[in-house]
Amino acid sequence: MIPQSHFLILSAILFCIGLFGALTRRNAVGILMSIELILNAANINFITFNKFLGSSDGLGQVFAMLVIAIAGASAVVGLALIIAIYKNAKTIFADKINLMKW
Amino acid sequence: MSGLIQQLNNTGLPQEFMLKAIFYIIAASTVFFAIRMVISPNVFHGAIFLALALIGIACIYLYLDAEFLAVIQILIYVGAIVTLFIFAIMLTASIQDRTIKQTNEQVLLSAIVAFVFLCFFVTIIRRNPWQAAASKAEGLALAQLGRLLMSAYVLPFEVISLILLAALVGAIVIGKARK
Amino acid sequence: MVKYSYLIPLFPFAAFVINILFGRRIKKLSALVAILASAISFFLSLAAFIGYLGGNGSYTVVRWLDFNAASLNFGVTIDPLTCMMLLVVSSVGTLIQVYSIGYMSHDLRFSRFFAYMALFMCSMLVLVLADNFIMLYIFWEGVGLCSYLLISFWFERASAAKAGMKAFITTRIGDTGLFIGILMLFSAAGTLNFKALEHSSGNQALFTIAAFLILCGAVGKSAQFPFHVWLPDAMEGPTPVSALIHAATMVVAGVYLVARTFWLFAMHQPSLIWVAYIGAGTALFAASIATVNNDIKRILAYSTISQVGLMLLGLGVGGYSAGAFHLMTHAFFKALLFLCAGSVIHAVGTQDIQKMGGLLPKLKVTGATFIIAGLAIAGVPPLSGFWSKDEILSEALNNGHPVLFAIGLMTSLLTAFYIFRLIFLVLFGKPRSELHPHESPATMTIPLSILAFFSIIAGFVGSPFMNHAFQNFMVFPQESYIPHAAGAVHLVMAFSTLAAFSGIGLAYSFYMLNNKILAYSVRSKFLFLYRIIYNKYYIDEIYEILFINPCIRLSRLSFKFDLGVIDAGVNAVAQVTVIIGKIKSWFDKYIIDGAVNGLAKTVRLSSGLLRRVQTGLVQNYLLIAFFGLLILIIIKFIKAG
Repeated sequence: MIPQSHFLILSAILFCIGLFGALTRRNAVGILMSIELILNAANINFITFNKFLGSSDGLGQVFAMLVIAIAGASAVVGLALIIAIYKNAKTIFADKINLMKW
Repeated sequence: MSGLIQQLNNTGLPQEFMLKAIFYIIAASTVFFAIRMVISPNVFHGAIFLALALIGIACIYLYLDAEFLAVIQILIYVGAIVTLFIFAIMLTASIQDRTIKQTNEQVLLSAIVAFVFLCFFVTIIRRNPWQAAASKAEGLALAQLGRLLMSAYVLPFEVISLILLAALVGAIVIGKARK
Repeated sequence: MVKYSYLIPLFPFAAFVINILFGRRIKKLSALVAILASAISFFLSLAAFIGYLGGNGSYTVVRWLDFNAASLNFGVTIDPLTCMMLLVVSSVGTLIQVYSIGYMSHDLRFSRFFAYMALFMCSMLVLVLADNFIMLYIFWEGVGLCSYLLISFWFERASAAKAGMKAFITTRIGDTGLFIGILMLFSAAGTLNFKALEHSSGNQALFTIAAFLILCGAVGKSAQFPFHVWLPDAMEGPTPVSALIHAATMVVAGVYLVARTFWLFAMHQPSLIWVAYIGAGTALFAASIATVNNDIKRILAYSTISQVGLMLLGLGVGGYSAGAFHLMTHAFFKALLFLCAGSVIHAVGTQDIQKMGGLLPKLKVTGATFIIAGLAIAGVPPLSGFWSKDEILSEALNNGHPVLFAIGLMTSLLTAFYIFRLIFLVLFGKPRSELHPHESPATMTIPLSILAFFSIIAGFVGSPFMNHAFQNFMVFPQESYIPHAAGAVHLVMAFSTLAAFSGIGLAYSFYMLNNKILAYSVRSKFLFLYRIIYNKYYIDEIYEILFINPCIRLSRLSFKFDLGVIDAGVNAVAQVTVIIGKIKSWFDKYIIDGAVNGLAKTVRLSSGLLRRVQTGLVQNYLLIAFFGLLILIIIKFIKAG
């Protein structure tokens, strides 16, 4: 019905939007949200290929599940870090945190 | 989707067309929400838009015969992770101020980079002659998925649990208030 | 014993080595070493003499150099001349060294003195033993060296050092002539052996020139005019040195040389008569200077010059044995005169006879021997001087040289005059200044006595009382060269005796009578002449202007040239090196260091620019990473077409 390429294009669009967000958001939480978007775009890819390449062992879906789990874990740890940084530096804007500047 | 299609067949509407139209609408709105998320000045709004985008993606999963995954997506992503994001946003103040810029100064460059990437991806995708497999699986039943998890993919399953444990412990350690 | 005659000079040489190396340790014993060596030489000479009398005139040969047609060997010859010289040199030398024990007893360089004396004895002995020119020349220079060392023995005195140099340089001029003469002989005859040369037939013109050149060398060494200037100054040395070297032995080396090469002079006639002319002229000239001089040793020095002139006169008129006879007797009484003078100087501490006077009562032995020597040199019979001088005068007259005879006679008169002037002024009369004379020790008076004894009797061997044994002994092999006429012997004897006594009488009247009124009045009448003679005819000053000053100016000029041109050149090279060094240092500093520094600066600048990439912002890094990925993709894209 819907050709494979359309799904892929959709996932590409979402990936690029997420990339743009990861590069431009000042708020650290915003960056993390953009990263979630990127992961989801990758998920779409997995499911698409799972359906259209027709493997009987459902590797794509399993992989997508694992990705979701990992995304969750990373979001947890990331947010814990953000909160710790917020406690220290009193800010969550990424462009204010430049201790490693030359 | 085949069951749905059968049902829709009964209603007499041009099913394929309708499905297709709905797909594109959902896809467009997902993209719209995603864009709104990355450029919204209010990060709280951004989180809401993220939730909406994720729901949109879940609907798309439905089109791909991945019902379980769609549900999982909504449950975990929207239900847990976005909630977590909102917690973090609440905890880290300054969401009220509208005058604070939310995008940093490398907007133009990033836009260009993202756009070029997009073009690249699209070009690749369109160039490639996608062949659909001869026989497709009719979708994976839930029971079958569960069985797969416990047999063929038990290793990743266990590793995931370890990762989750590590994340848990790590989050607690990092988040602990220091004496 | 003749065969072992080469041992004669070896003992003094050994004494020299011992005294030089160990002198400081053995101190006073060095005198014993030297005297012992000289005594042994004397006895060996005696043995050689006796051996020669027994009929053995051989010589040993040592090979040295061999050219194609010629060869130079070292060898020893014993003939009458050698025998006489050996005996004279070794005996007088031993006595003088005994005298030196007392004279030099307070000197710090006692052993060095005896070392030099021993070296001199060795050189002189080899010189008279030599059978070829090379050996003779080597040890000719050897005695010259010893003379230099001993004249400037007290080198702390500037005058002594200068005198030594003057002696060496003046005799050097003569020696150069001698050496050229030797080379000429070698090129003409191909050999330098005396015997071989005598019988060779080379280029006769070369031989004649060689004869004159040899005469040149003899004139230099024997202090004849015009090379006489070094001998009076040589009196700066210790008195035993003056006695041995500049009275008895070295100055007569010239006479010995002429006698040794007598055949050369005799065969090329103009040279021989020139010997006589030079000798006679110098004799008169030196005697005149001696009459007005006031320094004991200088009077005796001029006396030596004069007597050596007489010897050359004797040889020059053909009297080979006469000249040799006078050489022998002169050695004894001249050495005695010098030693007495030394004794007087040792007693009163001054050399100016104007300050002395009336020393005879205090210095009995010295005075007595002094008078004996004076009588001998004056030619008063029957002392030795009379016989030898008479021999010379008769040879001159009989061989047809009346002018030379007259000059010789005049010289004898002057000799008697000045020697008794000396004796009267020193020993008689009243003391003219504060003197505290004391007689010399036995080591000094015993040699005086022995020499006095010989001065008396040495003449008898040539007198009619012994049938002219000396003359018969000292026979020149080829007497046919010289016309000999026996003649007016008694006439000559009368004349010479008359000359001697008139000289003594004149001296007496001038200096002993009327408080020397005669002397003063003659002097004031001939003041101009007196001044010239007193200043030695200004010969030294003339030489100074003619030769020495130009030489000094030339050397100063050369020095300036060396300093200004050569040193300047060297300095310029050094300056150039310095400049090059400076350029190099500039180059090193600015260009090379600049390059290195520039490199460092470039690195710093570039790193200064590059580090700005580290903004510390994560999103920047992310952007850069994706940008890079983009570039790669684009490149891949383009390549893949």
